[in-house]
Amino acid sequence: MKYLAIFAAIIFTGSFAAAQLNLTEDDLKILADFEMRVDRYTEMREIVRRQIPTLPKDATPEQILVNKTHLRDGVQKARVNARQGDLFTQSATAVIRSIIKQEFKGFKGNEIRKTVLEADQKGVPLLVNVPYPETKELVEMSPALLFALPQLPKQLRYRYIGRSLAILDRDNGLIIDFMKDALP
Amino acid sequence: MKTNCIIRCSFLAILFISTTAFAQDSLNLTLPMAKDSVKFLAIGDTGSGSKEQYQLAKVMLDYRTVFPYEFVIMVGDNMYGGEKPADFKKKFEDAYRPIMDQKVSFYASLGNHDQSNQRMYDLFNMNGEEYYRFKKGDVAFYALNSNYMDKRQIKWVQDQMSGDGSKWKIAFFHHPPYSSGAAHGSSDGVRKVVEPIFIKNGVDVVFAGHEHFYERIKPQNGIQYFITGAGGKLRDGNVKANSPLTEVAYDKDLSFMLVEISKDMMYFQVITRTGKTVDSGSVPRRER
Repeated sequence: MKYLAIFAAIIFTGSFAAAQLNLTEDDLKILADFEMRVDRYTEMREIVRRQIPTLPKDATPEQILVNKTHLRDGVQKARVNARQGDLFTQSATAVIRSIIKQEFKGFKGNEIRKTVLEADQKGVPLLVNVPYPETKELVEMSPALLFALPQLPKQLRYRYIGRSLAILDRDNGLIIDFMKDALP
Repeated sequence: MKTNCIIRCSFLAILFISTTAFAQDSLNLTLPMAKDSVKFLAIGDTGSGSKEQYQLAKVMLDYRTVFPYEFVIMVGDNMYGGEKPADFKKKFEDAYRPIMDQKVSFYASLGNHDQSNQRMYDLFNMNGEEYYRFKKGDVAFYALNSNYMDKRQIKWVQDQMSGDGSKWKIAFFHHPPYSSGAAHGSSDGVRKVVEPIFIKNGVDVVFAGHEHFYERIKPQNGIQYFITGAGGKLRDGNVKANSPLTEVAYDKDLSFMLVEISKDMMYFQVITRTGKTVDSGSVPRRER
């Protein structure tokens, strides 16, 4: 029922964007399924988060580190069988790739490509359920692309890792999933 | 014995007073120091933990003796490399502790080298948010996260600014909407989404970093843009010569900005690690 509502909301609020992006009704269903998978992850990580001490808004660096470590360990344990494609299913990957392709047309695409490929990401592992190294730069995301992609909950972030598009958990730094060949 | 002590103490007192007076004399100040003005510093790309960062921090501290700023805004890249407790200490706390001991607060925004968890760090005053607003006198400050400007953040900016009747509106974030840097250049994507909101809602001044130099951009659409990204790293000689965007630029040393807002005018002065002033001037408040 919830997912039907999400689908309906996408159709309602996203009809203009969908028309601009040439998305079909089937594409929207696929994106609704993608969002459902994203929500499933978020619900699971919130359960883990509630089991660890709350991080105050005036935390010390030690408290931040402990909280991050506990959240990372808890989620890694809960997702021990996670695989690439759990969120970015084959069909979702195809739709998202087509959205990206449209956003990369022309000059704008060259700018995004330059930013992504210039970033210092050597040695970043492209593996699910593994932390993104905190010593490595995070590539800023093009606002136009973020506007076109399905909106993620605030706990999650799209990030480019080389030519792949990953979803990272902003608080524990884990790579939740990724799709390859996302940089046209 | 007593006479000897009096002579020695007098000598030391004279030496102390003359040294302090000399130090203060050498701190050239072009700002008006108006009563009840808002006084602050703007720094960026600080978190290297390098000897140069500490040297600049010392000059920032020295300037407080002649310009009693109340707070510091940080335009991101607060921490390069790791973010363990030892990194917070070396790349931030130890460098600015003498300034914070004088009850000066730091307000941070996030750069591409910063983890989101910095928003929870007490001394960055972000109150758990990646983007936030605070007010000092008649001035509203908007700290934004230019790494990830999604619909949620843009809606927040629009909502906050449209209902904001503050006399002055200042935004600060990491990626510069305009830049003459050879390494990065203007962040067109960020500019396209934020500038129309800034124009519509009367933002007066924008501070950014990312480029490791200082640049004052020629006013664009009525907004004054600054790059103050040489707080801990320098990209020597990186400003493109003859850039049509540049009003003044300096890429030969680390620098920070002294800023004072009084009534309808914002005054600024840019200081290097050696205490040299490389730019100064004033910006009038935008007509609304």
